[in-house]
Amino acid sequence: GTSWGVGGTCVNVGCIPKKLMHQAALLGTALKDAQHYGWNITQPIHHTWSVMAQGVQNYVKSLNWGHRVQLQDKKVKYFNVKGSFSDPHTVRGLTKAGKETIVTADSIVIATGGRPKYPTHIAGALEHGITSDDLFWLKESPGKTLLYCVYMELFFSISLTGASPDVSLECAGFLTGIGLDTTVMMRSTPLRGFDQAQMASLVTEHMESYGTKFLKRCFPTKVEKLESNRLEVTWKNTDLGTEETDSFDTVMWAVGRAPDTKTLNLETVGVKTNSETGKIIVDASEATSVPHIYAIGDITEGRPELTPTAIAAGKLLAHRLFGQSSELMDYDNVPTTVFTPLEYGCVGLSEEAAVQCHGSDNIEVFHAYYKPLEFTVAERDATQCYMKMVCLRERGQRILGLHFIGPNAGEVIQGFALGIKCGATYPQLMKTVGIHPTCAEEVTKLHITKRSGLDATVTGC
Amino acid sequence: AFGTSVGRGSTFNVQDGSDFQDRVVNSPKPVVVDFHAQWCGPCKILGPRLEKMVAKQEGKVVMAKVDIDDHTDLAIEYEVSAVPTVLAMKNGDVVDKFVGIKDEDQLEAFLKKLIGA
Repeated sequence: GTSWGVGGTCVNVGCIPKKLMHQAALLGTALKDAQHYGWNITQPIHHTWSVMAQGVQNYVKSLNWGHRVQLQDKKVKYFNVKGSFSDPHTVRGLTKAGKETIVTADSIVIATGGRPKYPTHIAGALEHGITSDDLFWLKESPGKTLLYCVYMELFFSISLTGASPDVSLECAGFLTGIGLDTTVMMRSTPLRGFDQAQMASLVTEHMESYGTKFLKRCFPTKVEKLESNRLEVTWKNTDLGTEETDSFDTVMWAVGRAPDTKTLNLETVGVKTNSETGKIIVDASEATSVPHIYAIGDITEGRPELTPTAIAAGKLLAHRLFGQSSELMDYDNVPTTVFTPLEYGCVGLSEEAAVQCHGSDNIEVFHAYYKPLEFTVAERDATQCYMKMVCLRERGQRILGLHFIGPNAGEVIQGFALGIKCGATYPQLMKTVGIHPTCAEEVTKLHITKRSGLDATVTGC
Repeated sequence: AFGTSVGRGSTFNVQDGSDFQDRVVNSPKPVVVDFHAQWCGPCKILGPRLEKMVAKQEGKVVMAKVDIDDHTDLAIEYEVSAVPTVLAMKNGDVVDKFVGIKDEDQLEAFLKKLIGA
């Protein structure tokens, strides 16, 4: 697949290009809203992929350069080579041309991340499909696109199979937003009763009303190239027991990322990996089964596949190795956001996890459906704008988790993450004055419990 | 027409490290080195403007263009952090430098100082 410069997955094929393309789509929606606010915009509005792609790709390249300069400034020696272990203290690197470099070290940190998986059991998947790595670097529009993911859990943090449905939803979201015919196919949907299903279904319901097509409980059996250069996909609909076909310009696989550890030679030096996921097993200090070899980021087992946690873990590791620190990385209450057209941000425990941990009698779930002020004049549907907060019923009513679906979800959740880190309680939240008029203030006004069964729709002022 | 016909010969793209040695470090004439990148918007404005002003100097100064992604080692060696970065070089030494866009008058002053000094 696509290769890229310094900066890792986030900069090159993750967060950065994804958020920028999400922004492109949001601007399209804003242009539609603008008319209600008095702007004269000639309809229909058109989007040119290549203009957006060039802007995004140029920015990513400037970040690659920036990182390169920073390495130089901090006097870090940079070798652009493909590395593997020759022995526990030696790494052998090969340039593209085959030139060899040998580096020895007292301590070694592995941070090679993951690469997208291909569903190789589907005929034509490798030859004709692309992944998100490639999507962000396309020079021309992907056109009518099919995105395939296996699971429909919205959970990025500790995903055992590495399935990343949020990538498929985020990509499908912005593709729809810029006006492309977009379909998401998913093999399975979660069982009822799993709380994540509530948030996931609100997000996907919004996407459906936004224009994204969903083929639920379907899986592709083959992809063939047609004479027109389009791709014909054949799939099984497990509900109806039928086989269906349709043609697309682009097929994007979103079946998860897996670490590329095969070429690292880990077995030779004794670094243990999880046999199912291939990820490196680490302890609380990021050490592998070999004491002086560490691992951080997406390649580690049981850690969130997030940029800030990888960076923080790396910094703390450096402080422990070379500073006087003994501080370990705290992976609890890591806030995060899925940048679907209607964003979902959260921090802390899900409702289900809280029930599992404490028992449903010991937790209280406050929730509310709200309408962002900006949606009113624009006559936008706010049906899926929703938030819920999970608290303990006793012990001061400590807040265990906060979940928010709405615009700017990441910006909203960030501040509350600090509160939760400090052990904020429901009474403290009730004493916190809201900023008006915002969506975030609705968090400070949460008072209807799920337990009461009352209608959770709140009205504006 | 003025820029391109007189410009040919006074502006060239650096091919590699030894090309830089030969045509910049060992150049008998003073050289302005334009470090630029494909992804840099301001570079696309400064480049042609600088070429035009160099051409106006009637062969007294030569311009070398270095794409920092193609020649990362060179860019790192000359401590380029932001682009565009323009170096004024004489007898292999960096005698002047600026970062970012300049207008024609500022460029002319920069070039005249390099030629005169």
